[in-house]
Amino acid sequence: MSLISSLIHPTEAEQHATQRPRYEVEETDLAFGLTVFLPGVAKSGLEITDDGGELHIKGRRAPGIPEAAPALHRESSDAPYELVFSHDSTVDTGKIVAELKDGVLRLSVPKAESAKPRKIAIN
Amino acid sequence: MRYIQLTNPETRSLVPAALGGRLGEMGLEDQIDWLFGTALSGFAGLSRGGQFPVDLYQDKDNTYVRAELPGVTPDAISAEMVNGSLSIQASRKVKSPEGEENVWFSRLVSLPDDVQADKVTAAYENGILTVTLPVKEEAKPKKISITVN
Repeated sequence: MSLISSLIHPTEAEQHATQRPRYEVEETDLAFGLTVFLPGVAKSGLEITDDGGELHIKGRRAPGIPEAAPALHRESSDAPYELVFSHDSTVDTGKIVAELKDGVLRLSVPKAESAKPRKIAIN
Repeated sequence: MRYIQLTNPETRSLVPAALGGRLGEMGLEDQIDWLFGTALSGFAGLSRGGQFPVDLYQDKDNTYVRAELPGVTPDAISAEMVNGSLSIQASRKVKSPEGEENVWFSRLVSLPDDVQADKVTAAYENGILTVTLPVKEEAKPKKISITVN
């Protein structure tokens, strides 16, 4: 196998690999906003779990082309997307809101009450 | 919603041919350049504009072009046939310190010669634009019946 084709066609072991999607994180006083770019992922292929301080996002890409059609040229990868954010107890994972539209996942992760800025009254 | 407009511009599109000419005719050096080019520019350019990944497939009936354009509304995508190549342009609104601004992406994809340019269809789903280009009837393999005397 030549150098070029080994780069383009993954080996057996590489087929189980995942790819890290592009993402952006914003922070406001009340919440963190995560934007994750997941082209080719439908709602049914998306899995978001929170496991003891780690927020896992996994997305399987839906095949969009008839399987019998051979690729002439590839720039994207079929590998599933995987992204893990670790967090401490300053976010309220029970109130995460997620929306997937046109291959873009937007997550709103509210901060825990204790982490929100408080105005302190002065006597 | 219609993505495909047939145009006959006098000059070739202003968008540079990203793949450096016809597929399959790339030399080793071009392939290496292309590999490094895509690895370095790749998807990271999305919020700044520029290129986006494109895949090309072909079966006996159709050629398929798949372009990754997450977060782009279908209205903001245009695809057109330009002298036998497929030109895809899209824009996406991004937040900037000055408010919202549009970033632009474009690719010119060289296509095989046997594409029926007037029967092209396109669909946008899950952030991926799929353009289906039927293969010309005369280019399809024909079965020749042989009679034995």
